[in-house]
Formats: sequence, structure tokens, C-alpha cells
Amino acid sequence: MATIKFKDVVKSFDNGKVTVIPDLSLEIKDKEFVVLVGPSGCGKSTTLRMIAGLEDISSGEIYIDDKKVNNIPPKDRDIAMVFQSYALYPHMTVYKNMAFALKLKKLPKKEIDEKVMWAAKILEIEPYLERKPKALSGGQRQRVALGRAMVRNPKVFLLDEPLSNLDAKLRTEMRSQITMLHKRLQTTFVYVTHDQTEAMTMADRIVVMDKGVIQQFDTPQMLYNEPANMFVAGFIGSPRMNFINSGIVKDGEKLKARFSGYELTVSKEKAEYLADYIGKEVILGIRPEHFIAAEEITPSKDKCIITVNTEIAEMMGSETNIYFDLDGKQNIAQIKTGRKINPGDRIRLSVDEDHAHFFDPVTTAAIG
Amino acid sequence: MKSRRAFKESLLYILLFIISVVFLAPIVIILINSFKSNFHISQSPFSLPNVETFAGIQNFIKGFTQADFSRAFANSAFITVFSVAGIVLLTSMTAWYLVRIKNRFTKLIYYLFVFSMIVPFQMVMYTMTYYAFELNLNNRLGIIFIYLGFGAGLSVFMFSGFIKSIPTEIEEAAVIDGCSPLKTFFLIIFPILKPTAITVAILNAMWVWNDYLLPYLVLGSGSNRTLPVAIQMALTGGYGNKDMGALMAMLVLTILPIIVFYLFCQKYIIRGVLAGAVKG
Repeated sequence: MATIKFKDVVKSFDNGKVTVIPDLSLEIKDKEFVVLVGPSGCGKSTTLRMIAGLEDISSGEIYIDDKKVNNIPPKDRDIAMVFQSYALYPHMTVYKNMAFALKLKKLPKKEIDEKVMWAAKILEIEPYLERKPKALSGGQRQRVALGRAMVRNPKVFLLDEPLSNLDAKLRTEMRSQITMLHKRLQTTFVYVTHDQTEAMTMADRIVVMDKGVIQQFDTPQMLYNEPANMFVAGFIGSPRMNFINSGIVKDGEKLKARFSGYELTVSKEKAEYLADYIGKEVILGIRPEHFIAAEEITPSKDKCIITVNTEIAEMMGSETNIYFDLDGKQNIAQIKTGRKINPGDRIRLSVDEDHAHFFDPVTTAAIG
Repeated sequence: MKSRRAFKESLLYILLFIISVVFLAPIVIILINSFKSNFHISQSPFSLPNVETFAGIQNFIKGFTQADFSRAFANSAFITVFSVAGIVLLTSMTAWYLVRIKNRFTKLIYYLFVFSMIVPFQMVMYTMTYYAFELNLNNRLGIIFIYLGFGAGLSVFMFSGFIKSIPTEIEEAAVIDGCSPLKTFFLIIFPILKPTAITVAILNAMWVWNDYLLPYLVLGSGSNRTLPVAIQMALTGGYGNKDMGALMAMLVLTILPIIVFYLFCQKYIIRGVLAGAVKG
């Protein structure tokens, strides 16, 4: 149970030649499940390792529960970490792996036994306690790694891409197990992943990082509904958001976004913020799921309906992903339709103007 | 198709049989001759002992008493055990440091170790002997340090190869669990290194136990002499005459411990040599 605070933290390598974290300030609340997400090399794992004490920080301060931990060694930070490769000790049995940290603390054998059995029961690994890691499957190994962290009853759980080595089915299973574990243990969890589905489904709040800079730190809903910039908008959501060059024009009382010969009426909320952009270019962002097959809606003169030529159609079950070209750029629409769509089909798509996003083409920041 | 494969396998077995014979023949010849009298050894060296030629354990008793076998055996055992223990322990630690701490200095040291493997002993033996005497290393304890120096190159090279394949995350997990660097090494790294450590131990034990030239140069033929030197020195009669029976018996007793050690640990040799070469 702990808060974590980063205050102007800088991390450089090679005597300051390479800066991976230019200036990081962040506050994680007690018992919160925070996910650090971003593309490879964005600094998310480095951030986690700095909390663990496995990486020194170049400048700034890190606090765990209001205690400055800059110079405190990892073992004294009261944290536990689960690694991507599980990092189980190959020469020890599952029991010994889990009991190792407790033995080093010289806890009585009875207490060690109780703690190991408690964790093993929750994680359903009791039958494997006498096995060595090589005799376990990937999922079982991951549960042992979690168990090894659990028995220490740490203030903070750090998880570095713990599910990335598992197959899709097991990943989904373990995802819910970890979420349930968080609820049960009522401890602060910091979780690193590059998989936005993991981030969206598990986190209380998500830190989206790019090039060592926090792009947005908010709840999954807010990241999806109100992305701070084009990076977040493109990173969160699958398939990714479409970005279309458009110009803002005034049509009577209304503002319209003009693109590829079509006009989209700007919602009242957004119009307020877009007033400064009349006559200027903006980037229109539309999520694939915010296209609707025109045949599914009631026709209205205010609706923006575009006609596209299907390049690729991916049948996903309840939805179909349609890839189409707009001004030389590939876009994607995810529509619900009863009929089969084939490449080459002309499709009429309605754009949901209430869910349209607008970005400044220079700063890439969201408008409104 | 099947018969062709069987034919190939048969050829392979024949080849392996011939190689085995070539390697085993000297040992078998020594063994059978150790039970024969001197006269019969020179008369029919390849025949098995029979009622007429069998000398019982006479050769063994003679060799044991005349060559001061027990003292030489103790010297060899002392030097081998402590040299090998030193090599395994210190070079595994060195390799761990060299692999994990990456800078110009460690790189240079690593290449010096590798380079030392290709320097022939004969090239340095006179200078080395001179300094061994200067530094008072010409005794049972001192020669252990010399063996450590000569054995370090190959051992560091072998350990480094294996350590590279150990994920650093295991060490980081140990650090988080509360291990100091020493505990990380002895509780986590060294047990993982076991197959390589056994391979290094076998290779070095065979080398130190069988070595003739280095102990001859450094320890001489006095009370510190090792088994190979003792066998060569003793059992020599007038005009270069050798007591071949006793000599064979001593050779059998000399190679016996190392063969037992090898057979006991041989399964680890392949595992140790392959360790780190393939992704697990």
C-alpha cells in the first residue's frame, strides 16, 4: 500500500549522451493499478526499473510512500517485480523460488510455509510446488513469478510485460487473474506493456509514453474519448484512428470540416474550440468504429455520407473492417452489416460527427 | 531407403569402433601388462596373462614401495584438488564480472585471457620457472597459483560463454529478493553454472593430474614430486633399465582416479560444452 511520486526525474545513459527520460513527473495513488504503455523504446520499462531501483536516476527524485528512495537499494524499497521472462531460479523448485526472499529475510520456517501455501492456493499452483521451472508451462511459470512477488507482501507490485511471452488465450486468462489479484491484495500495481488492449482492460489509469515523455495520464475511458494528441489517439483503440486532412469553413451558424469533397458538420461542443481555425487546416480524427454503414441509418441532410471503394474487407464476426483510400491515404472503417462485402464494392459510410476529433496539424494537440 | 540408412549407420559404428580401439588399446595394454612379469612383458606385450605369465599383484607392491607412490599420490591429489577448486571458483567469478560489467578494461582483460590460450607452454616455461623460484612458488602450494594462471584462459572463456546465456533478469530478481552480489553469485549464478563448472573441473583435473613438464620444472624430483614425475624417476635400474611390470602397475593406479572421476562426471561434459550454444 503505497503512493509513488516522480519529481522531475531525468534518466540518461553514456554519461548524459543519450537521454531516455528527459523530465518525468508523475503521481501514482495508493492501491491504484497504473499501466505504462507506449511503443518500444519509449522509456516505460526504464521508468519501472527506476521505481525498482534497478536503474539509477540521473537527476530528480522518486518517492515511495513519501519516502525518497533515490539511494535506497532495491531490497529495501519494499517492492516486488515480475519480469517478462519470469526470471525464475532454474535450479530451485517452485516452493524454493517462492520462499527464497523470505529465507533471506530469515523468517521462521512455519511462517514461510504459510505464506508460500497461501500464494500457491490463490494462484492454483499447489500441485507444482516440488517441480522445477523447466517442468512447467508458460502460464504456470508466470503464476509462480506472481507468487514469488506475492509472498513478500510488498507495498508495490511492479510488472514488466509479464504476459508478452504467453499465447493469446492464456494472456486473456492471466489478464483477468492479475486484475483479480489486484483487487484481492489491495496494493499499488505498476504494469508495463506495449499492448493497448492489456492497458485498457486492466488499468485504473494509463500513462501513455513516447520518447520518454508522458503524452497523457488518465483513465482508459478518457484516453479513448478525449485523447490529448494525435499520438494518444493513434495508440489507443484498435484498429487505430483515421487521420484525415481537412479545412474548417463557416456555413451560416455552423462550422464544417471539409475533406475530399465531403463536408462534416462540427458538433456544437467542438465548434466553440474550432472558431479560431476557420479557414485553416486541421486534422480530422475518426475512429473506425465511428463510421456507420449508410444503409443502417435514417437519411438526413446534415449527415456526412462518403462513398468509398473497398480495397480489403476483413470479416471479423460481428463487424467487418473495410480498408479504403481517401486522398491517397489508407483508412479503415469498422461497420456492422448483415451483408458480405467484397474488395471492389462501393460502400456508403456515414461519419458519426459527435465522435469526430480535431487536432492541430502543427502541434498535433487535440482541439477542444 | 531404409537399407541405405542401415548401411550408413553400420559404417558409422565400424568407424566409431575403430576409433574406440585406437583410444582404448594403450590403456588395455597397460592393464594386462601390469599383471605380467617383466620377462613376459617384453616377450609378448599384447597377450593376456595366463598361468605362466601372471605375476599377481607383485608389480603393484613393488611399484608402490619403490616409487614412494603414496607420497607422490598425495602430492598430486593435493595439487590437483586445490588447483581445480581455485580455477573453478575464481575463473567463474572473473567470467561473471567480465560478462556483466561492460567497459574497455573488462574487454581488454577478457581478450588477454583468450590470448593466453594460444601461447604454448614451451614458449614461457624457462622464464616462468625462473620467476617461480624467485617468488618461492617452487613448492606444493606455490604451483597451485601457477596452475591457476595457466588454466584461467580456457576456463574464463568457457564460463563467459555460458554466463552470456543467463538472463540478467534472474540476477535482478535476486537483487530485489535481497541478495548481495556475493549471495547472488553463490546462491543463484554458481548453481546455474554447475554443468560448465563440472566440465571445467574435469578438463583441468585431467590436465593437472597428468601434467609432467610443469611439476618437473618447478617441483623437481624431490619430496614434492607428483605422480608422473615419480613414475618416470623411480623404477629405473642400471644402464637405463626399467622395471616395466612395476611401471605398468603404477600407470594403472595413476590413471584410475582420473578415469573414475571422468566417468562419474562425463554426462556433464556435453551439457557444459553445449551450454549457451543453443536457445533453451
